[in-house]
Amino acid sequence: MGLYSSFIGRKFKHIAGKKYEDIIKHYREFLLTEEERQIPEIRSILMPLDRYVKNIPTELYETISAYEARTLLVYILDSHVFELVRQTLSPEASEEFRRREEIMGEELLNNVAKKLESYGLRVQRRIFFGNKSDDVIRMAGNYDMLAISRNYGAEITKTSPLSPLVLKIIQHLEIPVIVY
Amino acid sequence: MTPLEVFALAVFIFTYALIISERIHRTVAAMAGGSLVLLANVVPWEKVPVYLDLDTILLLAGMMIIVNTTRLSGLFEYIAIKTAKFAKGEPIRVLILFSVVTALVSAFLDNVTTVLLLTPMLIYISRLMEVNPLPFLLSEIFASNIGGMATLIGDPPNIMIGSAAGLSFNEFLFNMGLIAFLDLILMIFVVYLAYRKVLKVSKEKKERILRTLGNLDERAAIRDLALFRKSIITIVVVVLFFFVHDKLRIEPAVVALFGASLILFWSRENPEGILEKIEWATLFFFGGLFLIVGSLVETGFIGQMAQWITSHIHSEGEAILVIAWLSALASAVIDNIPFTATMVPLIKAMGMSLNTYPLWWALSLGACLGGNGTAIGASANVVVIGIAEREGIKITFMDFLKMGIIVMILTVGAGVGILWARYVW
Repeated sequence: MGLYSSFIGRKFKHIAGKKYEDIIKHYREFLLTEEERQIPEIRSILMPLDRYVKNIPTELYETISAYEARTLLVYILDSHVFELVRQTLSPEASEEFRRREEIMGEELLNNVAKKLESYGLRVQRRIFFGNKSDDVIRMAGNYDMLAISRNYGAEITKTSPLSPLVLKIIQHLEIPVIVY
Repeated sequence: MTPLEVFALAVFIFTYALIISERIHRTVAAMAGGSLVLLANVVPWEKVPVYLDLDTILLLAGMMIIVNTTRLSGLFEYIAIKTAKFAKGEPIRVLILFSVVTALVSAFLDNVTTVLLLTPMLIYISRLMEVNPLPFLLSEIFASNIGGMATLIGDPPNIMIGSAAGLSFNEFLFNMGLIAFLDLILMIFVVYLAYRKVLKVSKEKKERILRTLGNLDERAAIRDLALFRKSIITIVVVVLFFFVHDKLRIEPAVVALFGASLILFWSRENPEGILEKIEWATLFFFGGLFLIVGSLVETGFIGQMAQWITSHIHSEGEAILVIAWLSALASAVIDNIPFTATMVPLIKAMGMSLNTYPLWWALSLGACLGGNGTAIGASANVVVIGIAEREGIKITFMDFLKMGIIVMILTVGAGVGILWARYVW
């Protein structure tokens, strides 16, 4: 068997030369890999929101609705910012910050939930104090997909079209991610 | 035997042993043998142009230029994806369609390039179907060798035979095309019978395969749309010229060279890059072989062999049987190119007492289809098995032999039957 294999290998090299490498390289440009062929099963979607997430495109709702998955909308209030306000201004100011953030969060969660429910999806809502990136990375482990805005966690600019927080989050995840 | 005869025979045997062993590159072996017979003056320098079959070498070179330029356009990958899509994830359709496409492409272009370009797609689709790729790969090999037999330009032995005997493209198509067509049907049927149990996929799986195939875009395979169109037109023009070359009194090599210059002129591709891709090793291999066999002709050894054979063979019918089966068995073990190179002058010499016209077809039949007998019988076999091995699919010598021998015996048997019906009865 070893002899036969090495004979075939030698003969193959003599006949085909480097042609095969060129051909297979070209094929790889348009044939899907084994991994890409596996269609992921999406039963739950995590969708983090915050004050920077303004416009959610209709295409995202349509895409998510195709999965018929349970969706958790989560609004994370930055505990670090809350603490900074408390220490630098006053406890009252930090409470005012929390109250306004919660109102904004509830409003955003309700709007998005209503829209998702209109597509027939089951939606859950959560609002809490925490770390905007680390908590999303931790929670995403229990979900099949993440849908995240490019603006999440920071204002974006023309020169920096993706929030650094989003970049950090997607670098730590192994589940499929939709960045809108 | 004269000392020169002994020397020429020794060089011939030593070179062929080196070629069979593959210890050194076959081109190096042939060049070394060729230079030895020239050094010893067995073949005088002024006779070199007589023995170097320029028709064969230039025809091969012309077709290599056309194929290598066409390859840059992505035409072959386009054909592979289209074929896969037409097969619709049905194993039996994959088996039939890939066999037919391989045979068709091999009939006009060289077998090695054909299988090099189609095998990755075939492995991809068999993985997609999650079925044993063996029947598909075997049928691709068999189809390539069968398709190559159909035309004058399909396989190197045919090019050598056509050049030596002055046979036209249409004569090849008329004599070998029909045999190839029937043999292809026979081969697909045999492979289907042997592997029918594994050629099945469930309905759900089929839907998933169709979805994945639907995502493949054959247009993405086209690297250069303008070259893609020019390549198709050039190939069509060349094939049309082959159909009428005998009426126009043009040699096949001239048609190939015209096609090569047309595509180079029209595509504006860098000729240096294209000419670098010509398989010079193959052309020098042919050159060396022609000189070694020429030394046997020059010393009179071939003439004596022909005399001995004709004293034992009394009719064309017997000669067809002997040549076809001897060529098939020999080509199953050794490369059919050196074998044909040896047989061509032998059959020419037999023309003194026999009508050699049907014998050329018997040689083509045996030399082309004998390659299906074993894993090392033809270049296409080695290339497909080599690719499969690289992709983690083992095709053992016995795996191949079990099907190969059956296919070889049936297809050569059918071919011999047709030749007998045509030229003996």
